[in-house]
Amino acid sequence: MSTDERLVRVDGLRKYFWENDSILDRLFGEEPVAVRAVDGVSFDVYEGETLGLVGESGCGKSTTGETLLALQEPTEGRVEFDGDDVYALGRDGLTAFRRDAQVVFQDPFSSLDPRMTIGEIVCQPLDVHDVATGTERTERVRTLLERVGLSADHLDRYPHEFSGGQRQRIGIARALALEPEFLVLDEPTSALDVSVQAQVLNLLEDLQSEFDLTYLLISHDLSVIRHSCDRVAVMYLGEIVEIGPVRDIFESPKHPYTRALLESVPRATTAERERDRETLSGDVPSPRDPPSGCRFRTRCPAVIPPDDLDLEQAQYRAIMDLRERIERRDVSLESVGGDRIAFDDGGVPERDVPAFVDALADRLLERELPPTHRDIVEEALAALAGVDWDEAAEVLRQRYESVCERRNPDLGEERHPVACHLYGLAADGSENGDR
Amino acid sequence: MISDRLKANLKREFDRSLMAKLGLAIAIVILLLATFAPILATHNPTTTGQFDEHGNSYPPWGVTHETHTWEDGDDGRERISYTAEPSPDHYLGTNNIGQDVFSRLLYGARTSLLVGLIGTGLAAAVGVPFGLISGYYGGRIDDSMMRIADVMLAFPSLVLAIALIGVFGRSEQFIPDPIVMAGFADGMPEYAVLPGTVTLVVALVNWVWFARVARGEAMSVRSEEYVKAARSLGANNRTILVKHVLPNSLTPIIVLATIQVAAIILLESALSYLGFSGTTLSWGYEIQQGQDYLATAWWIATVPGIGIVLAVISINLLGDWLRDSLDPNIGGEGGV
Amino acid sequence: MSESTEALLRVEGLSTRFFTEQGQVNAVSDLDLRIDRGDVYGIVGESGSGKSVTARSIMDLIESPGEITSGEIWYRNGELAAAVEDDHGHAVDGSFVDLLEIPERVRRSLRGTSFSMIFQDPESSFNPSLTVGEQLAEAVEVQRRASANPRSTRARTRSEEYSLGSFVLSTMLPSKRYVSEESRERAISLLELVGIPDPVERADEYPHEYSGGMLQRAMIAQALAGEPDLLIADEPTTALDVTIQAQILDLLDELKRETGMTILLITHNLGVIARMCDRVGVMYAGEIVERGTLADVFDDHVHPYTHGLLGSIPDVERAGGRLEPIPGNVPSLLDREMGDRCRFADRCPKAMEDCLSHPPEVDAEGSDHHAVRCVLAERSYDESRALPDDYFGEPDRPAEAVDEPQSDDEPLPAERTQPTLEDAGGDGS
Repeated sequence: MSTDERLVRVDGLRKYFWENDSILDRLFGEEPVAVRAVDGVSFDVYEGETLGLVGESGCGKSTTGETLLALQEPTEGRVEFDGDDVYALGRDGLTAFRRDAQVVFQDPFSSLDPRMTIGEIVCQPLDVHDVATGTERTERVRTLLERVGLSADHLDRYPHEFSGGQRQRIGIARALALEPEFLVLDEPTSALDVSVQAQVLNLLEDLQSEFDLTYLLISHDLSVIRHSCDRVAVMYLGEIVEIGPVRDIFESPKHPYTRALLESVPRATTAERERDRETLSGDVPSPRDPPSGCRFRTRCPAVIPPDDLDLEQAQYRAIMDLRERIERRDVSLESVGGDRIAFDDGGVPERDVPAFVDALADRLLERELPPTHRDIVEEALAALAGVDWDEAAEVLRQRYESVCERRNPDLGEERHPVACHLYGLAADGSENGDR
Repeated sequence: MISDRLKANLKREFDRSLMAKLGLAIAIVILLLATFAPILATHNPTTTGQFDEHGNSYPPWGVTHETHTWEDGDDGRERISYTAEPSPDHYLGTNNIGQDVFSRLLYGARTSLLVGLIGTGLAAAVGVPFGLISGYYGGRIDDSMMRIADVMLAFPSLVLAIALIGVFGRSEQFIPDPIVMAGFADGMPEYAVLPGTVTLVVALVNWVWFARVARGEAMSVRSEEYVKAARSLGANNRTILVKHVLPNSLTPIIVLATIQVAAIILLESALSYLGFSGTTLSWGYEIQQGQDYLATAWWIATVPGIGIVLAVISINLLGDWLRDSLDPNIGGEGGV
Repeated sequence: MSESTEALLRVEGLSTRFFTEQGQVNAVSDLDLRIDRGDVYGIVGESGSGKSVTARSIMDLIESPGEITSGEIWYRNGELAAAVEDDHGHAVDGSFVDLLEIPERVRRSLRGTSFSMIFQDPESSFNPSLTVGEQLAEAVEVQRRASANPRSTRARTRSEEYSLGSFVLSTMLPSKRYVSEESRERAISLLELVGIPDPVERADEYPHEYSGGMLQRAMIAQALAGEPDLLIADEPTTALDVTIQAQILDLLDELKRETGMTILLITHNLGVIARMCDRVGVMYAGEIVERGTLADVFDDHVHPYTHGLLGSIPDVERAGGRLEPIPGNVPSLLDREMGDRCRFADRCPKAMEDCLSHPPEVDAEGSDHHAVRCVLAERSYDESRALPDDYFGEPDRPAEAVDEPQSDDEPLPAERTQPTLEDAGGDGS
């Protein structure tokens, strides 16, 4: 199926959305806040293949798809289609690009204009590009509708008369009308029931071989990705963490996030209840203020501790979570120890400090620590007794700072690259670590 | 293009709601009266000097009109009273300068509806494109356009209207009346008078509402995937605005337009009450004329007052009916 | 039925209909269900299958134009039975009470204390202007009053502390709290129970400061406030990402193990069913077409619909060949369009002449609980009796844009129920 011919090349694509960026905000001197939806993504799509882009909601996969198609202004980066820089295209070039690259959307209810008949909808691309005329045009629309499994007699119906699966077929017919080479499928089946999803997936598969299409399939559903893709890129918080052939990704995933993602999917078999699985804790951090270094480090079950540290991963994770909260100043000091310990703006009176530290450690630490580490943590908590957040954070940082927070791992160049310090720590050179 | 579903919704809401029926009935009556005013009027509304033998205004038909005056007498006062007979000649009596109130009511309805409809049309013609562009493009364009709209909204509409009339000056346009021209109504005024400045001014005061509603709709339609789909097909912004954004924003705009007609009728009445209108054939002007005679000839002000109330209420009822029929929560996506 | 387990809830012949302008929609028809104490019972089906309506019928949350038209919902609760026996003797059978025969007032008082429900969308289930802690404490308060006086609903909301006046006061005087300190502490312990880290701080935060997964946890906490006998979870993880879904499923699993709670789990996701459930019912067009233990349904299924459903999901562990979708679309549940035949016959690859009469539910091989509404349970497929391909019209059957009244409280969006096209997008291949 796929050849080695490169059709799309995405290089360092970034897309930030700006908040607090209106004239009024300017007037009041509010700093605009960047939401880093896509933050430096690079990948290639080869002719005839299906590349899957998988990740959880908010990871930037749909934004990547839209920015790649120049439906959104990119903040930075370059996209080449057939060797041409998409963002540098002139008017004619862009028109040609629009004919060659099409998109199928997720929501079959909002992707069709409710005031147009399906004939008009499928004909729309032909109108815009002034392709074919009169009966030839009608004929083409009929053929398209029949090709996607609808009756051509329904030309005059409105979208609301169709079910979700049928609407998605109409959307596919519209995308195919200009005979594109490349289709971005943005969650094409996630609004559909499973039995209908299977129909649509089969249809997409048939169309791909029939029209030599290249797909970029964006989905959060790993089983759909597994079923349909040749290669897969896994995204987390605006970055690609791992990319490779579908088999490698699913059978020997490298990145801890990919592994966790795969383990999280409940399988529809009776053996599911006995399956070993490790559930990721915590939530995805905000793309407004992503973690330094590796973005997954706040949830990663395999954060790399400093070399000389003799701690179990769970204990290390507990300390890292504590650091995280101290850095965010997300601990309510007033309530520690209830009424026994007096707390005012200046902190805790000298004599209550040990009790304060004990109470706080009790509340914040989820694991027992070896004495040496317990001491360090207590030192930090004692700093909190004096409301010195920076000092507390610094005490912990000095001892426990991980390579994962210092440097953002790079995605390599090989066949199955992964952006993780667990792999080729020494190899990834010195030019990274910038953010 | 009205979809079957919309028709069904309109009908269902109509059947369900007594208010809708009432509103439609009154609105149709007013529309007919205004349209055929030259035929239906009993007198030329501008002819003056029709008083009874005592020199008093005629009361409405069926009302006995008593006037009491007091003069000095034995006990210091003597009472003289006389009675005006109800007159089938003047259904609603005559006013203080002896004009037929009924005929003026009909012609007043003409003025109100003309200003209401043309004013709303102008306001929509300015406001809708303004709002659609603002909402569709968003960002800086939206920011600056909406600040302009906010400035307009910051002024009380009546004050703004008066100020604008002060700037433009009063004016009136004479529109030949086809019914009179065709010879169906001899003796009636040959021209319908449209208070031009007032019409312009009410539109300038009210376009902002259209802009705001259109902007809100455009913003929501803009994020619909079919708009994205059209962009991905290579359609340019103008095509998208005209083919997708406008049709899908129409529903609330139509409802707004209905209600704006009522609002503009009220504003026009207020302006003519204050004497800023270009024509005397206006309900507001009538009220102003009649208010000095409320004790002796109450009908002069009351009749046009009832006219305003009925017109505004009926149009608002129509608006409610439309809104309920087009409301997606009741009947789906509307579909005009 | 085995005697070792104790039925908590027996639903018999439940029919729920929606009376719309297009006609009568039989969302649930003649449904039987038995949920044993301590079990996790899963109902799986596609949209429009009536699974959510079933759940809401049990919770008594059906709103106009919907109506429960027939059936009995027997709930085992000795106390309740004793309490209502005098006034409503006909509604009591031993320690079972027929919920459809007792007054609305009593039935409402069971919400929260006997049954509680969690929904797909946690965001709309919280008041954005109150802290999560306050809302939980409020739930605790309400449940406490309800259980103090189970038969009075007045007591729950009309007491002095719970008046509007005291609410207004509470906004001005910090000392005059809307809810008691005791309830607040219980709220915090509930948050801890559902695995929210730092419950003390989190209790003072507003819903918008919570992530989706945390809100779902908070909603579970809210549902647990009254220590209900039965927790109904309607698509509890559908709006969540897989890693968060895994967390929530772990949580439900844990709660079940710790508290012995009974759960009715409604989902379209077969993976979630496999992960959580002891028993499964597969719903199609308002009926349970196949039921049994997890193994019965997943490994020894008889009904072609169950087979089709399982065949439709791509496998995450193997690179699959072609999927085997079920052709056609979910059927209309409009009364006039429902013939007296097997409701799946028109999409069924094994439809036979026998399928033209509505099949009764029969026992099938496998465990004692395995039952199926299909003739194939008793005879094997016979090609000579097969219905011709175009029997139900060409090329499939009437397609409907009918969606089940979804859990988002829209009883039945009228425009979606319009009978529509004469033809469907079939298999497309």
